[in-house]
Amino acid sequence: MNQCTVTFLPANTTVKVTAGTTVLEAAQKAGLPLKSTCGGAGTCGRCIIKVRRGEVQVKGGHLPAKLKEDGYTLACQTIIQGDVAIEIPAESLLSKHQVLLQDKGRLQDGLTDLLGSYPLEAACEVVTLHLAEPTLTENTSDTSRLLAALRKEKGVEGQVSLALLQDLPESLRQAGWQVDVTLARADNRLLRVTPAGSGRSFGLAIDLGTTTVVVSLLDLRNGRRIGQGGSYNRQAVYGDDVISRIIHATSNHGGLEELRQAALATINEISNSLLANHGINQAEVTAAVIAGNTTMSHLLLGVNPKYIRLQPYIPAATEWPALTAGEIGLAINPLATVQVFPSVASYVGGDIVAGALFTRLARGEELTLFIDIGTNGEMVLGNKDWLIACACSAGPAFEGSGITCGMRAMEGAVEGVTIDPETCEVELEVIGGGRPAGLCGSGLIDCLAKLRRAGIIDRTGNFQEVATPRLRRTDEGYEFVLAWAAESSHGKDIVITAADIKNLIRSKGAVFAGIQSLLKTVSLELEAVDRIIIAGGFGNYLHVPNAVEIGLLPDLPAEKYVFAGNTSLKGAELALLSRPAWEEALELGRKMTYLELSAGNLFMEEFVSALFLPHTRLELFPSVTTGTSLERREG
Amino acid sequence: MPVQVLRDRSRATVQKVVLGATKEQGGTRSHTIVVGGDAALPFHHFEGEVSRPVIAMEVQDIVPDWPDVLKDPFNDVINEPGRWAQKCVAAYGADLIYLKLDGADPEGANRPVDQCVATVKEVLQAVGVPLIVVGCGDVEKDHDVLEAVAEAAAGENLLLGNAEQDNYKSLTAACMVHKHNIIARSPLDINICKQLNILINEMNLGLDHIVIDPSIGGLGYGIEYAYSIMERIRLGALQGDKMLSMPVICTVGYEAWRAKEAVAPVSEYPGWGKEVERGILWEAVTATALLQAGAHILLMRHPEAVAKVKENIDQLMVNNAY
Repeated sequence: MNQCTVTFLPANTTVKVTAGTTVLEAAQKAGLPLKSTCGGAGTCGRCIIKVRRGEVQVKGGHLPAKLKEDGYTLACQTIIQGDVAIEIPAESLLSKHQVLLQDKGRLQDGLTDLLGSYPLEAACEVVTLHLAEPTLTENTSDTSRLLAALRKEKGVEGQVSLALLQDLPESLRQAGWQVDVTLARADNRLLRVTPAGSGRSFGLAIDLGTTTVVVSLLDLRNGRRIGQGGSYNRQAVYGDDVISRIIHATSNHGGLEELRQAALATINEISNSLLANHGINQAEVTAAVIAGNTTMSHLLLGVNPKYIRLQPYIPAATEWPALTAGEIGLAINPLATVQVFPSVASYVGGDIVAGALFTRLARGEELTLFIDIGTNGEMVLGNKDWLIACACSAGPAFEGSGITCGMRAMEGAVEGVTIDPETCEVELEVIGGGRPAGLCGSGLIDCLAKLRRAGIIDRTGNFQEVATPRLRRTDEGYEFVLAWAAESSHGKDIVITAADIKNLIRSKGAVFAGIQSLLKTVSLELEAVDRIIIAGGFGNYLHVPNAVEIGLLPDLPAEKYVFAGNTSLKGAELALLSRPAWEEALELGRKMTYLELSAGNLFMEEFVSALFLPHTRLELFPSVTTGTSLERREG
Repeated sequence: MPVQVLRDRSRATVQKVVLGATKEQGGTRSHTIVVGGDAALPFHHFEGEVSRPVIAMEVQDIVPDWPDVLKDPFNDVINEPGRWAQKCVAAYGADLIYLKLDGADPEGANRPVDQCVATVKEVLQAVGVPLIVVGCGDVEKDHDVLEAVAEAAAGENLLLGNAEQDNYKSLTAACMVHKHNIIARSPLDINICKQLNILINEMNLGLDHIVIDPSIGGLGYGIEYAYSIMERIRLGALQGDKMLSMPVICTVGYEAWRAKEAVAPVSEYPGWGKEVERGILWEAVTATALLQAGAHILLMRHPEAVAKVKENIDQLMVNNAY
């Protein structure tokens, strides 16, 4: 096969590939992953590149005419034929970006909040043992000696693995028979033997999200959080949502392994840098707890996810066996225990179970609605007596994905919009205070509410003919300019298009329809809900009245709303630090009743009537519509 | 043991809409017609007030592309919309005239706006009953035509159509300015039906100036969908949903005479019987089924079908209260 040298600019990185490789694949190989929402299908138009020099073949793909004229092509559609130089514009790079670590929410961090009434019984404990040195008469084996001491000290029967055994003789002698033994609490497996006084034990709590991955490093002896890190899930180059990932995993040869490696690489990279920053060895990390949605759990463990996508949507498993880091490939102590949160069903995963655990959903009397709006909208309703969960395909619009100028909540994202109804002039609130680069979920919600209030769109989301230069017609319909090129950080207009608005209305409609479906299934009215917990990064910047105004969230008093931040991560931390909490999580997974929304008409009916601002049944949103003169106008 | 018959009492009624205006009211009609006002399901006289459904006969501004069977009764007047309307009222007892300005269609006769307006005036002069006027269906042209009609017939309290979800603003504005009523048309969808009413109402046109056209299917062509949508509209109205409380208009003639069964010649289908009877029955049965679903205004074509449906309405309006 013909080897070609590909040089990427401006990074000036070179990589050798065979002719016929796409630029997208070459960039991935060069460690410069590109944005690829559609997973290389040529439809999303995100992996824009420019061929500077050399021979390529361009297959086509969806790209605005303007960019085509300027010589840009899509990396996934550009096939390398010889030695080439490729320029990658900054916006095409799947940059490591800021991932939500800090929560503005009410449920603040801190050990007391995290553990609450759960005891600190971490996944591993360190036991110091003083062994008697063997003699000619006291000549039992090293292992028996160690286990006897453990039995005497803790009253437990330790389990020894071959890997530990292989090094044990030297470990014991070098330690002078005074050792710290790291013990897995679940099964009394011996994980590590070190000289007494040196046995530190750390654990990782991992939130394996479809879009982002966050890892928390905890000291298992005192439950203290040492650090956190987060990054884009590297699987993103194979598509933005779980469906395109499943398709990649099941239709491409080796696709599942690629996804598994991408997830592992993401986690390992974050944890390695965390460990390096805090001077901790991989060997000292002896436990990990992973919370991810059902698909992510399948992909990380290399389990065939095919039937999650196909009706009747059956996962391979909802509970995972006890695992070790070595067998799944985490770059920590190979013997470390790995617990993967159980799922409820194909589309209500371990992240939701972790969230339910952390927010104590099943501990109180009060009726609670837990909503996680992310790439999918998952929700759980219930209290200590019963729990019912569902997932609605809300799409990733509120994460900024699939929206022309959408972005995640990070520096440069517009989080608030003000539109003067008279002049149609716009003021933007930007995270970080700088120039705007795009709109994040909260900005999109605000934008929708304000466009409607200013009469620029009507309740169906259609643009109205308002005389302002900001409203303009393109080949694809109307768009409204929120920031002119000169005001934005990248020198391009920031717009919201008619298609974006329809997309957002569908997303918010799906979430609200999911809530209504849950309530109707248990024959309860919205008013019966005592507390609504909003999970996910999305909630941190969310302005509840705006979300109510567009009909995304139910019209309930603001004091019933609670933001809980990344509950998936916090649930994982809790399970890592407290064995009883983990056991409760297993119980939670089994206890939640799953409502399959694609069975029957309930969801569809609710969805269709929610495709209006705020809702076709205006009476569901009294605070939005009172004051409006509906009644008066009838006269 | 005596049977205890349960009666449903409604929380609300269907909105009353007044069509037409007499001289005192600023128009030139000999009388007005009130549609709606029902406090019960269709013809449940024993549960509350039931309004009498009315029939509007269709007249077009150009000679329509109708089968001969349908054109025959009007052969002497089909070139003159005024006389055609007159015949419908005087000879066939039409409660209202439904004037369809198909001649405006840019793809067809492409009549200019003032000619369309003249036709409306001609019909207004020819008959004393209230008028329903709809455009040709071309959005841009209808915009101009209906606005001019609304202005020229200001005070006549017409029923103008059709407003649709993507195109309701200009007609609503015209109806508000010149004091007419509007047909809000939705594609067999209860949600869009309601949303359109909200949108129109939010422009400040009163709910008592809106009539719902839910879109129907003729007999054999999805009439059951229309039935269930109309049933939901009526149930909603009776339960107090203001945004579903308007009277319902049904394009019976148009849908019935589109059916192959109504127009196919007997030579092709000897087993189907004479087409003249078939078409009339197809239209009459479509209409009577929709009466049961809660239709208030039936837009019909053939005089014999109209006669049959009028007879049926008479029977249904006999009070069955006990």
